[in-house]
Amino acid sequence: MNQPTLFEKLGGAAAVDAAVDIFYRKVLVDPRICHFFDTVDMDRQRVKQKAFLTYAFGGPASYSGRDMRAGHAHLKLTEEHFDAVMENLGSTLKELQVPEELIAEAAKVANSVKNDVLNR
Amino acid sequence: MQLEFAGKQYELGTGETVLECLERHGEQMVSSCRSGVCQCCLVRATAGAVPRAAQQGLKQSWREQGLFMPCVCRPEGDLAIERSDAVQLFSSRVESVQELSPRVMRVRLTMPEGFRFAGGQFIQLVRPADGLMRSYSIASLPGEGALQLHVSRQPGGIMSQWLPAAAGEPVQLRGPLGECSYVTSEPERPLLLAGTGTGLAPLYAVLRAALREGHAGPIHLFHGAAGIAELYLWRELQELAERHANLSLSASVAGDAAGEPGVSSRPLAEQVLSDGPSPKQLRAWLCGNPDFVRGLRKQLYLAGTPLERIHADPFIPPAAGH
Repeated sequence: MNQPTLFEKLGGAAAVDAAVDIFYRKVLVDPRICHFFDTVDMDRQRVKQKAFLTYAFGGPASYSGRDMRAGHAHLKLTEEHFDAVMENLGSTLKELQVPEELIAEAAKVANSVKNDVLNR
Repeated sequence: MQLEFAGKQYELGTGETVLECLERHGEQMVSSCRSGVCQCCLVRATAGAVPRAAQQGLKQSWREQGLFMPCVCRPEGDLAIERSDAVQLFSSRVESVQELSPRVMRVRLTMPEGFRFAGGQFIQLVRPADGLMRSYSIASLPGEGALQLHVSRQPGGIMSQWLPAAAGEPVQLRGPLGECSYVTSEPERPLLLAGTGTGLAPLYAVLRAALREGHAGPIHLFHGAAGIAELYLWRELQELAERHANLSLSASVAGDAAGEPGVSSRPLAEQVLSDGPSPKQLRAWLCGNPDFVRGLRKQLYLAGTPLERIHADPFIPPAAGH
């Protein structure tokens, strides 16, 4: 039998659904990064958070490094912004009582695009 | 299996997604994740069945409009689709214009043949002579004859200055657009209707649709206006409240409330958050001033209202000089 993937271990699409509002509410009130997320089109923005979480959960979103670069270059993000997102990701998963080792795995996935997101 | 797209017939390959089929036939489509997550590629089904997986995660109001993600759609039968921004153009005529307050008028337009809408959706009104176009919400309901709009006189507003003298003139309508309409599937849910100025128009339609459907849950309508004279439907609303025990009314006016019950000068958003239904329970329609809508939507979301239950069509003011 195949090993379950990270996405399966976290609970798949249902887990993303459970996480997305917790995560989006956190970033909306995080003074370090809320201005990137507080847009007129909250529906669209929420979908983006969902895409991000699906990616971090090791799910079926096929983003390339180039997509990540193109999507973030205009924001001129810094290490502090990236750390804030990672913290909110971690605390969201904690709130959902995800085991530490799975949180670490998701953080590793999210960290893998750091250089692309920060455009370096 | 056949895929009909904008009047053209394409043969779907075995196991092929709608997006792949369109691209194979040279259609230019926007897409990004191609796995049913980012919702960039949405199209609308006009006939045929959409597999459930192609609407996974979409807002209910979008699903009801037939929107789906072609990147994960493998149809099980023939399907007819169009681009999600496709809207029809209809011919109409200005039937009458009536003053409702010093600022607001009620404009009646003849019902175009074949025009289907839900009360609270909006249209783009086009003046044929020069193509001048403005967006207005529909305050009336299907089956009521003329389409009714609430139009606010804008200083220097070309359309709002033209309309009072336009009775009998031909116009065109694009639409209907937007998702500010009543949801019939949850008759017990507490409803929040909050709007400023002529943002009341779609709320009035949603309210009357809810009452017509016999909505059983509490309904609280909040109207914000520049002054007591601009609560332009206050009397009609009070008559509705007298007949429907589940309807509550509040209003916020700048300046003196003149002792009118339910009216105060407290800011509208503050009234909604302290006197309105519990955010975790409610379904909301927010309309009018963009800063008000944006601020209140965010506050409701942070207080626990799912975004899917907050209806607010973005109001985009016309660009300067247009």
